[in-house]
Amino acid sequence: MIDALMANILWMVFIVVGGVLISWSVHFVPVGGAPAAMAQATGIGTGTVQLAAGAGLTGLVSAGFMMNVTKDLPLILASGAVGAMIMISVTMIVGTWVYVYGVGCVPSSAKVKVDPITKYRQDLYVSQGTEGHGLPTVSYVSGVIGGLLGGIGGALIYYSLIEVGITAGLAASANSSVTGNELVGIAAMFAIGIFFVNAVIPSYNIGGTIEGFHDPKWKKWPKAVISSFVATIFCAVVAVIAISQLGGI
Amino acid sequence: MSAGGSGGEAPAAYPPQTIMAIGAIGGLAGIYLGHFLPPVFSFFGGLGAICAILWGADAVRRVASYGLGTGVPSIGMISLGMGIVAALFGLSVGGIAGPIVSFIAAAVIGAVIGVLANKVIGMGIPIMEQAMVEIAGAGTLAIIGLSVVIAGEFTYSAVIENVVANGYIALIFIIGGMGILHPFNANLGPDEKQDRTLSVAVEKAAIALVITGFASSLHEGLMAAGLNIAVGLAIWAFAFMKYYGFVKRDAHSVVGTGLLPSAEELE
Repeated sequence: MIDALMANILWMVFIVVGGVLISWSVHFVPVGGAPAAMAQATGIGTGTVQLAAGAGLTGLVSAGFMMNVTKDLPLILASGAVGAMIMISVTMIVGTWVYVYGVGCVPSSAKVKVDPITKYRQDLYVSQGTEGHGLPTVSYVSGVIGGLLGGIGGALIYYSLIEVGITAGLAASANSSVTGNELVGIAAMFAIGIFFVNAVIPSYNIGGTIEGFHDPKWKKWPKAVISSFVATIFCAVVAVIAISQLGGI
Repeated sequence: MSAGGSGGEAPAAYPPQTIMAIGAIGGLAGIYLGHFLPPVFSFFGGLGAICAILWGADAVRRVASYGLGTGVPSIGMISLGMGIVAALFGLSVGGIAGPIVSFIAAAVIGAVIGVLANKVIGMGIPIMEQAMVEIAGAGTLAIIGLSVVIAGEFTYSAVIENVVANGYIALIFIIGGMGILHPFNANLGPDEKQDRTLSVAVEKAAIALVITGFASSLHEGLMAAGLNIAVGLAIWAFAFMKYYGFVKRDAHSVVGTGLLPSAEELE
């Protein structure tokens, strides 16, 4: 058991780095929750976990797709990042259409007077009694950065877990039958498990809603990143041992 | 975002210790019975999962009553996230003691996350540490229990081959998560009652048993699958009728208020 941990120490470091990146990325994604679903707060109208999980899992799938053709780590990370960025961008642009043309409100935030990127005034367009609505430019850009970090994190974890399995003597795609990919299955499930843990911890830190990197709550990210760092170490130890055991059966 | 709950300890008819005993002992007993008995009796794993999901739903109910600041589903998702990591670890190193090792690993990870949530993030929920341990343990037992339904046993190789490699584990992840996070989320509000919430948990867990019963036909044959589905449907019908009774008990009477007053009557 100790041998397996020592042999995979580099991959464990990568898994922990991936977990920290996911935790950090959640703070970038504009999450509005139920109030945003009623156009009473800025952001996408659902919870942090669902969004982070969606972006991360898309990143995982696109990273896995890239691993079919290459073993080059930067390319795999880029593929994961682009997949997650596309997912979160599409969610945000369609959400914006719904807010603008469906609800009939102007994307604006009540937390800052001018949009930090476009410098347009926003306070004139905020409906009375709301904290803003829709997704202003800064939230959109911030969400894309969140997708980038989350996708890299997810891809890094998945790639490391696959490498742990290969170190233990397994083949990632030796058997192309539907039920033959034990390593892919277990690596994907561990990556998803670690992803959910690291998506939930920061969502407790930001307490439901965040507009992006201009939000005052964004400054709280070190707390969540430290928590995720410690929690991911445990998850990484456990995952590496479990996958290494797979080599013996 | 709605925090879920009113910010205080949840009133309960069944004390946490009772539910904890049902979940931990019932869950482990079901898993071991499903493992040692012939494959036809793999529904015992499902009964264990039902006990574990009941426990998880009660723990979610207790912790979410304090107000998480984020949605109730997040705590169900972290439960299954910790659960899947701990379950596969325990089965891989534990051999015949696999479920117990998983359970202990889940408790350790849950305790670490609970301490981090309270001490580092500063959520300030007094029962956070204990609830995280319980939720992680319940998620782990639910995953192993439903895996036993599909694979007929919990040895690491069987679970990897029959549950993980073909992707049924993703199914277990979502339906187990639904059973743990959905009951409180569906019933929360000022009139939330423990028995009503827990009857939804049993109902959701029975649906999980039916669905994994369908999946089990691949490895255990139609006989075992049919028995799994039949047991699941029987428990589902019972729990659903219980829930319907609780809803009728808790529903407030509908009172006719008449039409809106006309302009003349208001003057």
